[in-house]
Amino acid sequence: MADRGHRREPEIALRRPRDDGPRGEVLVFALAGELHAAAVREIREILRPPPLTRVPRAPTGVLGVVSVRGRLVTVVDPRRALGLDAPAPTGRSRIVLVETDDGEVVGVYVDEVRRVDRLAEGDIEPPAASLGSDVAPHVTGIARPKRPGATGSDARPPAIVLVDLVALIGAARKGA
Amino acid sequence: MRGAGDLPRDDYFTEAIEIVEAIGRDLIALDRGVRQSGRADVEIVNGLFRGVHTLRGIAGLFGPSPTTEISRSLEDVLERVRLGRAPVDDALIDVLFRAVDVYGRVLAAERVGAPPPHDDLDDLLQRLEASAAPVTPPGGPYDLDPGLLAVLTEYEEHRLRANVEDGKALLRLRIELDLASLDVAIEELKARAKGRAEVLTYLPTGAGSAEDAIELDVLLASSEPMIELARSFEDLGGELAPLPRRADAGGADPNVLLPADAQASGGVIGPVGAAAPSRSTAGERQELARDGEAPRSIGQTVRVDLRKLEGLMSAVGELGLVRSALSRLTLRLRAEVPGSPIGSDLARLERSFDRHLGTIREGLLDVRMVPLEQVFERLLRVVRQIGRDAGKQVNLVITGGETEVDKLIVESLSDPLLHLLRNSVDHGIEPASDREAVGKPAVGTVAVNAFQNGNHVVVEVEDDGRGIDVDRLLAAATSRGLVTPGEIETSSRRDLLGLVFLPGATTRSDVSELSGRGVGMDIVKTNIAKLGGVIDLASVPGIGTKITITVPTTLAIVKALIVRVRAETFAMLIANVDEALIVNAQEARRVDGCEVVGVRGRSVPVCRLSELLEIGGPEAEDAQARGRVHLVVVSIGAQRLGFAVDGIAGERDVVVKPLGPSLREVRGFAGATELDDRRVALVLDTPALVAEYFATIGAVPAAAEVAAGG
Repeated sequence: MADRGHRREPEIALRRPRDDGPRGEVLVFALAGELHAAAVREIREILRPPPLTRVPRAPTGVLGVVSVRGRLVTVVDPRRALGLDAPAPTGRSRIVLVETDDGEVVGVYVDEVRRVDRLAEGDIEPPAASLGSDVAPHVTGIARPKRPGATGSDARPPAIVLVDLVALIGAARKGA
Repeated sequence: MRGAGDLPRDDYFTEAIEIVEAIGRDLIALDRGVRQSGRADVEIVNGLFRGVHTLRGIAGLFGPSPTTEISRSLEDVLERVRLGRAPVDDALIDVLFRAVDVYGRVLAAERVGAPPPHDDLDDLLQRLEASAAPVTPPGGPYDLDPGLLAVLTEYEEHRLRANVEDGKALLRLRIELDLASLDVAIEELKARAKGRAEVLTYLPTGAGSAEDAIELDVLLASSEPMIELARSFEDLGGELAPLPRRADAGGADPNVLLPADAQASGGVIGPVGAAAPSRSTAGERQELARDGEAPRSIGQTVRVDLRKLEGLMSAVGELGLVRSALSRLTLRLRAEVPGSPIGSDLARLERSFDRHLGTIREGLLDVRMVPLEQVFERLLRVVRQIGRDAGKQVNLVITGGETEVDKLIVESLSDPLLHLLRNSVDHGIEPASDREAVGKPAVGTVAVNAFQNGNHVVVEVEDDGRGIDVDRLLAAATSRGLVTPGEIETSSRRDLLGLVFLPGATTRSDVSELSGRGVGMDIVKTNIAKLGGVIDLASVPGIGTKITITVPTTLAIVKALIVRVRAETFAMLIANVDEALIVNAQEARRVDGCEVVGVRGRSVPVCRLSELLEIGGPEAEDAQARGRVHLVVVSIGAQRLGFAVDGIAGERDVVVKPLGPSLREVRGFAGATELDDRRVALVLDTPALVAEYFATIGAVPAAAEVAAGG
């Protein structure tokens, strides 16, 4: 098994939006109709959901377990931790695999994966500025990317909530 | 020699731990030898020395550390033993055992980057230093020919002396060998001598008939008749002669090593100036130390990380799914195109696929199997220590160490067995005076016996101690409310002994440091049950206690019962299941707030899995309509419980995989397994669920419940 430890480095621009780091690539996905984004470097793989097995007694943030090529992977539902509504499964649902700090690979259930985007530092506002002081630690910022060549109404695209997937998983599997 | 660059730290730890384990094994053998014959086996001492030396070498690659420090001191001690300057007594063996323990702790700390256990380390180093202190060599000054002694290494000298003290005869084999193949010929010589004579040293005589040949005098020590010995060297062209002893010295005392005439002629065993190779280099000594060691097939084995095997196991599991899919396709083809030759070809391929898959699976399982010896050796060490600490003399007899079990099971057995042995030594075996008072031998015996029984391995731990005091057990259990006097009246002795496995039951009032805190047997029982095993206990007052553990030989593939609860599917390890049956819902009665049904004349409490696990949804229609309940009866230790499920979907060979750390807090599941349709089924942690059920209904012991209802 290849050592994947190097894939998660602490200096991810998105996790520290105020750092003068390089611009990061993010995966943009939809959750309960709202756009979210997470650093591509945090993501190992994106799957079509295999049959999911519910785990009785698991924290409410945990949807269940799936088998990914013979390995058991716990799948979490990030909605509650983000204060969103209950899931509405669609044919476009995906499971985003993320390796957490303790080395476990956990799946995050999302409604739809949209695209990979590049965000400039200037596009990102710290969460406190736009959402007030009562913000969960897994929300790292709000982005309003300016699209090159976009004019008129397109100049102000929908906001994207930037999330730290590892922190989000932590919150979800604690029962949030 | 490998450089640090070739030896990653992980490999280092694996190797170091293996060496320490090997040292532990050698020590046990040494200890046994000393007990039996009163003498230290020189080959074992050499083995110990080599192990410590190698360990120091590989540890040294990473710079000085507690490991190198211990090794250096230990080498000093062992060197003295090798040279016969330190007696191998109990005190020394104790220090050596302690060294093995401290090695283990030091390595464990180093591995996780924790500070080493300073107190243990200092204590050990002090003890080692004390053991290495000079001891006057027994026997006083030695008067072998000084010319010869001058060229002997310390080690050779010691061996020479030891052999003479043993009353062995010294012999000289004069032999002419081809220079080109000298090494091979000498090895051949040693091989032939092995077991019958010891090659003490060999020196060139300085003579020789041809330029490319060399004449050697080989000094041998042997207790075999010379004629027998001569025969084995005959075809090598060797000439064997005894070394005469000085007449006035008498007996076996070899005051003179060499005959006077030989000395005069110069063709003797002794220094021959430049022709003699230097006999005292470290390399030479090592080679001598290696002498007599059976050739080990180091090149034939590889060390494999268990996780890699798990990976292979998973892949084989996947192949099993491929096989099922293939089989379905074949059936479809044959149904849709009857008589198709492709269909029969496919069927043939499928059978062949099946066979090879089976071979791979068996091979993989086989690779994971290791002898129980690994854990038994650790036990020997610990029992020695416990016995010493408790001031009791205990003889541990182990049989069946060669029985093979899955590596993971061996590891998981270690703690429970340790606990049982502690109990036996601490609670079971009486003090020597008490034993003698009742006519038992002063030294207590604890026997550990292992054997294979079908797909299971049985490990018995038996002691000849005082046995379990049922009255005290019952008193303790009653005072803790684990059992009522009425239940005691109606329960069998065996059921009552089962109380030992309930949390909180303890039979000793003086809580010792070693055990007896009342948290023991229940944990042992739970751990064994987690392995899909069972534990049984028999005890006779004054005679002893016998505990029998039965575990499956492998965890990788186990038989499981697939059950349905509402819309969910679960697996239950067959090892925990007594029987599965269908009972009429009307048969259930309520006794003290819990549902009970009669199974073969005995009543068994019923636990609805859907309620215990809080699984909602409609009950399966067929079951509901007929008013029938599928009941899976399990027994864990003395507790029996029927789990009510909605359906039973048969028995399956499954590979149980652990749930991820995210779900570690979730109780009730031992893992999960993949079924044919790629669905994951959770594997119920039956022992935990049983314990949970009885805890929630108020800790009524199943034993009493059964008896009361039956």
